Amino acid sequence: MTMETAPGRLKLPGPSRLPARRQPQTGLWLFLAPVIAVVAAQLALLVWTALLAGQDWVLTQSQQSEGWTGAANFRAVLSDPIFWRSVRNTAIITGVSVPVQLVIGVGLAYATLEVTASRWLRTALLAPMVIAPVAVGIVWRLMLNVQAGPINNFLLEPLGVSGPVWLGDPGWALVSVIAVEIWEWTPFVMLLTAAGLTGIPDDIREAAKVDGAGPWRRVRLVEFPIMKSVLLLIVLFRTLESLISLDVIISLTRGGPGWATFTLPYYIYSLGLRNFDLGRASAASLLFMALAAAVSAAMVRAQTKARL
Amino acid sequence: MTAARPAAPLRRPMRTRWIRWVIIAAALVWALAPLLFLLLTSLKPANAFLEIPPRLLPSSVTLDNFRTAFNDFDAWRVAVNSLTVTTAVIGLSLLFGVPGGYALHRLSISPRVVIFFVGVLLFVRFYPRIATIVPWFLAMRELDLLDTRLAVILGHLGLTLPLATWLMHTTFRQVPAEFDEAAIVDGAGLWQRLVRVQIPLAAPGIAAAAILSAFLSWNEFLVAASTTREGAKVLSVTVAAFITDKGVLWGPMSAIAALIIIPPLVFALLAQRNLIRGLTGGGVKG
Repeated sequence: MTMETAPGRLKLPGPSRLPARRQPQTGLWLFLAPVIAVVAAQLALLVWTALLAGQDWVLTQSQQSEGWTGAANFRAVLSDPIFWRSVRNTAIITGVSVPVQLVIGVGLAYATLEVTASRWLRTALLAPMVIAPVAVGIVWRLMLNVQAGPINNFLLEPLGVSGPVWLGDPGWALVSVIAVEIWEWTPFVMLLTAAGLTGIPDDIREAAKVDGAGPWRRVRLVEFPIMKSVLLLIVLFRTLESLISLDVIISLTRGGPGWATFTLPYYIYSLGLRNFDLGRASAASLLFMALAAAVSAAMVRAQTKARL
Repeated sequence: MTAARPAAPLRRPMRTRWIRWVIIAAALVWALAPLLFLLLTSLKPANAFLEIPPRLLPSSVTLDNFRTAFNDFDAWRVAVNSLTVTTAVIGLSLLFGVPGGYALHRLSISPRVVIFFVGVLLFVRFYPRIATIVPWFLAMRELDLLDTRLAVILGHLGLTLPLATWLMHTTFRQVPAEFDEAAIVDGAGLWQRLVRVQIPLAAPGIAAAAILSAFLSWNEFLVAASTTREGAKVLSVTVAAFITDKGVLWGPMSAIAALIIIPPLVFALLAQRNLIRGLTGGGVKG
């Protein structure tokens, strides 16, 4: 990968740079064609969802759509208390878990900065986010099990606390989902924050030190302004991913007990893939996408404002 | 870099260093102990998870749970499905994503169009799949691909190809244009330039794209679950199905969960630098 392997056989005199425009374009378009095809197919699926949302089609009752119903599916979803419960739960889970992830993740990024073998250390701490989310649910079903799980039996009992029925109680089940979400995704915040901090040139820190700024002032006046856009990006990303996360709910609580941990994605999942109500599931999907889009637009706006 | 910084970390007071290592140790326990417990449970005798009084460490170590998983739950065939799907997804993502990213970089189209297309790529990678899972199911039914590995591969490609193309576009942008131009002067064709000149220079980016595609595909549940029944089932689907279908068989369930967990963990350790590069969007050195 050194200069030798580069094609340096002989340089012709004359124009040393050919303008890029002279290259034949057909080959390049052929290179891009499969990507365009896959992207187009994925976008077409979204259009299909939009079309399904206006139709009456329950797969268990009919193999074909039973025709257009206008906004009936939307009305049905919007008047469904479980939908609103799912909205509330999604807001709670995202609203609590993302800030906690941010605080712990930034703390860990600082703690692992300039430590020996920091890359090995961080890779080990990444474990929760590289394993399958469905397996994360299984891991925590074991951990939170009342009879034999380590949390109640080896952590809380020695402290004289009799642990709650984590996944069987509506309130504690929601707490469990939030805790698992934090467990799974804090490493992501740590990784990106650490990457951003490592990217700050040393001389900036040195200059601040020479000017007599203590550690706290260096963080607040030098590092935070540089890191602000990175942090906002992390928050945006984590918020979106948290809004759409589904696998952990499926393997940890199945939305239960009752509807206590129904989130919007799980609500759509249970409508579409368990009740096979394709029309309503699609209508709920569109509402969900609109919500996610609104949240990200608001956050992008906050980010642009913060930059000014 | 080190010369400009006269061992500042070492001169910290003992107390802060001590606190730092306590934090790190606590974080390691918090991140790894649950995984360790799952692995231990998978090695205990089948019903030992619920034995009274509960124990942290197994009283005896056995592979019985794995035997049950392989014999009664078809874990071998399912794992082979997972492996086949993941391998195909890596291969196709690179086959299309590497030339695609290169083309996106070299095509003479307006930079605005390129930025817009990159935005579309990121949107397609990240929009919630739950929103299109119904049409995806219908499309696969229409094409008669239900319960085939091909359907899972195609579904995963919808996630990994935009990602790989984006990562490769970022990577190729960092390769100095002189290499390509020199090759053009030398009369190298498009394909030759890509394979002989660009790919060797872009190897770290390619590795990152391959690793991220592998993780995405191996761990993905929803798309795989929507089109598979028995024949093309992958590990993630089997793991999730354990909860409703079979009551709770803690031993075999842990064994199958261990099967899906271990490969990414080993892989992450082996490929940490490229993994970190991929996760941080290619812009940061790991």
